[in-house]
Amino acid sequence: MKLVEILVFHLFTAFESLIRTPVQIEKLILIISFILSLYVSCNDDDVPPAENEEEIITDVILSFDALGGVTTITARAVDPDGEGPESIQILDDIVLEPNKTYHLKIALENSVAGESITDEVAAEAAEHLIFLAWTDGLFSDPDGNGNIDNRADPINYLDQDSDGLPLGLETLWTTGEIGAGNFRVVLKHQPGIKSSSSTVTQGETDVDLIWDLRVE
Amino acid sequence: MRSLQIYFLIILIQNTLNLTAQNCTYEVEGNIYDLNTRMPIPYVTVQIEGTQNGNVADDSGFFKINNICQSEFNLSISHVGYHKTVHHHDIYHESPKIYLASDEFVLESVVIEGQKPTGDLTSTTSTLIKAEDLEVVQSGSFGDVAGSIAGISTISTGQNIVKPVLHGLHSNRILIINNGIRHEFQNWGVEHAPEIDPSLADNLEVIKGAATVRYGADALGGVILINPPKIELSEHLHGEIKLAGNSNGRSGESTIKLQKGFNRFGLLAEASLLKQGDLRAPDYNLSNTGKNELSFATGANYHLSNIDIELYYSHFSQELGILRGSVVGDLNDLDGAISNEPPQNTRSFSYRIKTPRQEVDHDLVKLKGAYLKENQSFNFQYGYQVNRRMEFDIRRGSNNDAPSISLQLISHSLDLDWNHPQINNLNGIIGIQTLYQDNNNLPGTNTISFIPNFNNSRFGIFIIESMERGMNTFEAGIRYDYQYSSVRGRDTDNSIFRNELDFQNITATLGLNHEFSSNATFRTNFGSAWRPPSVVDLYRLGKNEFINETGLLRFEYDENHNINTKLVSTIEKSTPNEFGLKWVNSFEKYNDRYNLDITVYSNYVFNYIYSRPAGITNTVRGPFPFFVFEQTDALLWGVDLNLFWKHSGVISSLVRGSYLWSKDVSNNDFFVGQPPSNLQYELSFKPKLEFFDETKISVSLYYSFKQYQAPKRIVSLGQILEAQSKGEDLFSEDTSNFDFLKEPEGYFLTNISFRSTIRKFTLLLQAKNMLNVDYRSYTNRLRYFADETGRNIGLSFIYRI
Repeated sequence: MKLVEILVFHLFTAFESLIRTPVQIEKLILIISFILSLYVSCNDDDVPPAENEEEIITDVILSFDALGGVTTITARAVDPDGEGPESIQILDDIVLEPNKTYHLKIALENSVAGESITDEVAAEAAEHLIFLAWTDGLFSDPDGNGNIDNRADPINYLDQDSDGLPLGLETLWTTGEIGAGNFRVVLKHQPGIKSSSSTVTQGETDVDLIWDLRVE
Repeated sequence: MRSLQIYFLIILIQNTLNLTAQNCTYEVEGNIYDLNTRMPIPYVTVQIEGTQNGNVADDSGFFKINNICQSEFNLSISHVGYHKTVHHHDIYHESPKIYLASDEFVLESVVIEGQKPTGDLTSTTSTLIKAEDLEVVQSGSFGDVAGSIAGISTISTGQNIVKPVLHGLHSNRILIINNGIRHEFQNWGVEHAPEIDPSLADNLEVIKGAATVRYGADALGGVILINPPKIELSEHLHGEIKLAGNSNGRSGESTIKLQKGFNRFGLLAEASLLKQGDLRAPDYNLSNTGKNELSFATGANYHLSNIDIELYYSHFSQELGILRGSVVGDLNDLDGAISNEPPQNTRSFSYRIKTPRQEVDHDLVKLKGAYLKENQSFNFQYGYQVNRRMEFDIRRGSNNDAPSISLQLISHSLDLDWNHPQINNLNGIIGIQTLYQDNNNLPGTNTISFIPNFNNSRFGIFIIESMERGMNTFEAGIRYDYQYSSVRGRDTDNSIFRNELDFQNITATLGLNHEFSSNATFRTNFGSAWRPPSVVDLYRLGKNEFINETGLLRFEYDENHNINTKLVSTIEKSTPNEFGLKWVNSFEKYNDRYNLDITVYSNYVFNYIYSRPAGITNTVRGPFPFFVFEQTDALLWGVDLNLFWKHSGVISSLVRGSYLWSKDVSNNDFFVGQPPSNLQYELSFKPKLEFFDETKISVSLYYSFKQYQAPKRIVSLGQILEAQSKGEDLFSEDTSNFDFLKEPEGYFLTNISFRSTIRKFTLLLQAKNMLNVDYRSYTNRLRYFADETGRNIGLSFIYRI
């Protein structure tokens, strides 16, 4: 203990004499620059780990397969910078033929990470629900304007979750007569809320997009 | 080498001589005050322990003892009606100021050596919360505790994340000095609170001036100093155990503090544990607002005649939940959340903390040394801090368990300073402060971090001199700072960008302290301060629930003045330092009847960095307003008032208030989220009750005004969506500040507290928001979603060992 006392004492005394003696100001500067160089030289050069941006949906692709035919109508929406300030581009209009039945599949992609979000949504079907709305009259089945304004309105869901509730990645549509309007797709994340009556105002929105739709 | 040996030998001989020579020429002088009234106590007996040598203080409480034989000794101070106290003193320390505690109180007497324990600036206004007052507010977070000082308000994200706002500035614009060391943490944005447990603190001091010259960059608004108990020598084992519970949140907290001082050696150990469940607004639960907290600290000091060494370690860890109903996916969700009450996902009470939540840890190691000579001292302080922060958002699938922010910040700091001896009436301090920082993103977030990895190296050198001339003390200081930053980050396409940045600045301060009499003081201080743009100001990118922000170095304007976001590496832009000029004046007058303290300040900040609306971006989730970081000039001025009035021995009143005026002067616009004015009145009774030693009952009425300086532009979500459908952009033309919702109305809160002491026990019973008023605070970011907390009954039980 005594040794420590003496050591510390002399450390401080040495420091004091260093400051007190004007001749040794150079030495002080030397020490400061030494400390500084120590600080600068211990800079490392590590880069943040590359992370896969798994969450962001950049591309939404609607594929309308005509039943009993080979035609597939594809409508895409693409947002290359994800959440960035650049706006999403709706690349295609939906153009369908009158009085025809279509099987709609919705695909969600993350083009930055090259991942399919569709599978993730399907795997968590019990927490997700796709709501749909369109201009009244464009479809003969289901009729009406979709379940965004009223959850009880009909939609022909083809898929369901483990609780028997619809999911909406796959749906069935029959077009009406010639007409034009729009088609809106809303994907909600409703963990713990999803039920047979949960509405579009509940949970968090993952997708909310509107396409122009023409039946011609 | 040989000369060094001789040098050691001479020193050794000197030491031996000092110890053996019994030349009784040492002397000590000091002042004695009443701890409670702060008035001098006359005719107190002061004795050198173990000798017959002693003296009696004069009628102004001043004492002097001559012919002392040892260079260090124990002073024994005793007086009728006061606790006897022993103070270990040596000739190297400054004259002690001894505050004796009255017999009526359980409080220990306090000795302060030198001017003030922390402040080196005498012309700057400062406010101190003492241990006793701290006890009343201590259960709150650090931000809440600081918010009980006039001039400080809070900005928060829910009830668990609270940050102090000092004279209208917060986060990177004020400094928090925890136990003498700059608290280095992820200090950006509203959603990162300082990782400090106020229940382990002994006192909290606020320096309201631009104290950059003394404490370094970032102190544009001022400095908050939070100090643990001082480790005293020659003290018996003492401390306290505290158990506290609150009805709102059904929380429990236990704190233990222990201290023992030996002859040359002192020890301190403290620990605190807290568990809190969901809080409750008057009409509904605030689901997922629980909190778990553990903190402990231990310290030791070693004293050897003119050397003091202190080693200190503290740990803080916290897990906190954020209101589940505050999570929204897009503007429609936000619209729904604003009009819905109770918020979505409101459930019955639970202690479980789910996403969204934060986990934070902070460790601090401090080694401090002082070498004291007559009239001067050399100080050395090394600090090592590790700050870890993980933030978990609601995400899909397995990502729900992965943090979306995971950062580790390591800081080393080394401060050296010299309090030089008086030269021609000049007293002063010269110092060097260095800092090295390493910030790293930890892997596993599955999202591209917008905070890059960085290393900061900082160097500062300062000198502050003061001169006394009669009733005036003049003060002047100057400082030079240099910072080098090396930044490595990922762009949106995962490509790597690197940047090297240099910052430097010269700051100065000038002040006057004028004493009208021994109990009336006027202080004025004019100081400059600066802050380099932080990495967040420069590189922020992306959506934060319903706001999309873009940092200074993430965008550019093209020829047509349209905003262009590009990769960071392609952007060249000058980003000048924030530079502030703050002028603070205060008048303080106190006597045994009242205590008045008024502070008036103005602060002009050049190149003030803020985010302003810049347009609408359409994403897969629908339209979002997006904001870009810009620089402007800001003017803030205001008044703080604190008046304590003792009507009789039993009844006293306290009036406290603050007013702030702030504006973006370049754009003639108001800022979003500035704290509104407030006024508080507290009436206290100290009745002499049978059985109780000391009792205090207080009723406090608090009024927070509406923020009349909120931006007048309210853009509702409906308007944004409507404009959207017409193909208009509300923000690309008009870039003035706006809010989604009008500022909330003023509110009135009633709090009642009962504090009573029976010998070593203290009981504290408090009711907050007694009338269960439902209100929303303008500076709470979650005001769009839910009311503030309702009535809370708190009970604390303190046992002094």
